[in-house]
Amino acid sequence: MSSTAPLTLPRWFRGLLVLAIIYLFLVGVSSLESGIKVMGADTQERLFSSVSNPIVGLFIGVVGTVLVQSSSASTSLIVGLVASGALGLDQAVPMIMGANIGTTVTNTLVSLGHVRQSQEFRRALSAATVHDFFNLMAVTILLPFELLTGRISWLASRTAEILTGSGGSEWKSPIKAWVKHPVGWLKDGLKQASLEETSLGVSMVVIGIIVVVVSLIAVTKNMKALIAERLEASMNRVLGRGGGLVAMVIGMLVTISVQSSSITTSILIPMAAAGVISLRNIYPVTLGANVGTTITALLAALAASGSDALTIALVHTWFNVLGIVVLYGIPFLRPLPIRCAELLAELAVKRRSLAVGWVVSVFVIIPLLVIAIFR
Amino acid sequence: MVLSFFKKGESPLDRISHETVLMLGDARHSFDLASTALLAGADASAVSSDIRATDDRINAAEQRLRSELVVHIAVHGGDDIGVVMGYTLLLKKIERIGDQAKNILDLAEDGISLSGAPDIEDFLTRRQTISQMYVDAADILVSLDVDSARQFLDRSMEMNRECEQKIHDYMRSDEPGHWAVPRAVLHRYWKRIVANLAGIVTSAIEPIQSLDYTDDGSTDIVDD
Repeated sequence: MSSTAPLTLPRWFRGLLVLAIIYLFLVGVSSLESGIKVMGADTQERLFSSVSNPIVGLFIGVVGTVLVQSSSASTSLIVGLVASGALGLDQAVPMIMGANIGTTVTNTLVSLGHVRQSQEFRRALSAATVHDFFNLMAVTILLPFELLTGRISWLASRTAEILTGSGGSEWKSPIKAWVKHPVGWLKDGLKQASLEETSLGVSMVVIGIIVVVVSLIAVTKNMKALIAERLEASMNRVLGRGGGLVAMVIGMLVTISVQSSSITTSILIPMAAAGVISLRNIYPVTLGANVGTTITALLAALAASGSDALTIALVHTWFNVLGIVVLYGIPFLRPLPIRCAELLAELAVKRRSLAVGWVVSVFVIIPLLVIAIFR
Repeated sequence: MVLSFFKKGESPLDRISHETVLMLGDARHSFDLASTALLAGADASAVSSDIRATDDRINAAEQRLRSELVVHIAVHGGDDIGVVMGYTLLLKKIERIGDQAKNILDLAEDGISLSGAPDIEDFLTRRQTISQMYVDAADILVSLDVDSARQFLDRSMEMNRECEQKIHDYMRSDEPGHWAVPRAVLHRYWKRIVANLAGIVTSAIEPIQSLDYTDDGSTDIVDD
């Protein structure tokens, strides 16, 4: 029962590598923020005026996240934009909620890999779309609530004040100082290429986006390798003890470790397809992953200026926590995402094109149509 | 329980290997008890509940470990696919060996007793040899020592040839059916157990595609 072990890096080296990549990620966020600031008010106005409509903002969040296949990346970019002042808190909140919807596309795509075998496909698709339905329902309830009352951003703002110990935008993150120099070097390097202000800003933004996305992919890959055995043991505990709060906490811890809810939820799909974990036990793990993934935006906020960046990152956290409180905490709402996922899977088994139609319409066509119509 | 996420534990595949050895220990326990009922005159009803409880434990372990193998593949991807498929076959063989101990118990529960029979010494020697083969198979699963595995496979082939010869002799015996049939059936069960133990050892050293097949492509599992 021997296996050929793939070439592996020593754990200590991989740990250091992860720390270095996280630093790079923070530099990327800071570069994005600086780039936007360099662009000037006119360019910022042209770029972000359309997202003043919350529905457009929501669907930009969906499409943006589908494109990068990571809500961690898209929410970090939103944090950078908020920190730069280009995007207001009001505009960013629907985008953060849209990012939550967009991130569910990854595990739904993974579930389509089981399309050839009816029963496997039914289990895999329902396991994937329970995340879709939960996030869609959470947005349906909490976005109007936020637009009408502003209580989620108020809650986030209050939490930010408590965490930073200050009440205004004068808060200076200590980590911001650590990443200041590399961003300065980048800016100086680009200036030497005789770029005009807007081009300099665009270059810094593009480099920032690339660094954020690539470093998040690298962190996820290395952290997954680093904690694979603990991750496996945790999933076995979920199988052994069933769902509930423990599964939720495990989903959160695993996602915080790998910095990607898609990794956590996508691991569940083959397990669900094989029938070793039930939809009811997957559900709380997924909810924990929703909360866990907000750690990346919080991390990004540490590299950004002002308390608004931290506030929008906390909006992401509070939105997911409140989603759980409402949809999981209220008994008659709890089974709703499960039933919807089961129904969709039941229909999709009879008509496979329905699954593809679901992915294309929910994550691409509807968002693009809404953006085109309302912007 | 959640805090255990932060603690370093045994590697999941090592844990599965460890549990597999425990399952083999349980299977041996059932075999020894069933053999005692048939060959040493122990009360079959007294050992029955222990054997069935042990069998339930083996079955539950097989199901749990299968799930854990799926989790392993879900987390690690295809890196260990050969090992995982090997374990799937191995677990099934241990589960079958557990069932075969129940088959021996069924003989005792049917009122068959070979204790005091003139040929009992031959039976007890063979039973002792097979019981030791469980231990040897477990050792090989832990050590993955190819030489020990080859020696084990040679011994198992020899044992199976002897059992086959005995079955052949009983089938043609002039003794009455109530004498020959239980002996032939017992040797058949032994032959099946030894074949499955050989299959377990083979899975430890052979690549997945050649498990249960001989070099010429024919199956080397005479029966399940």
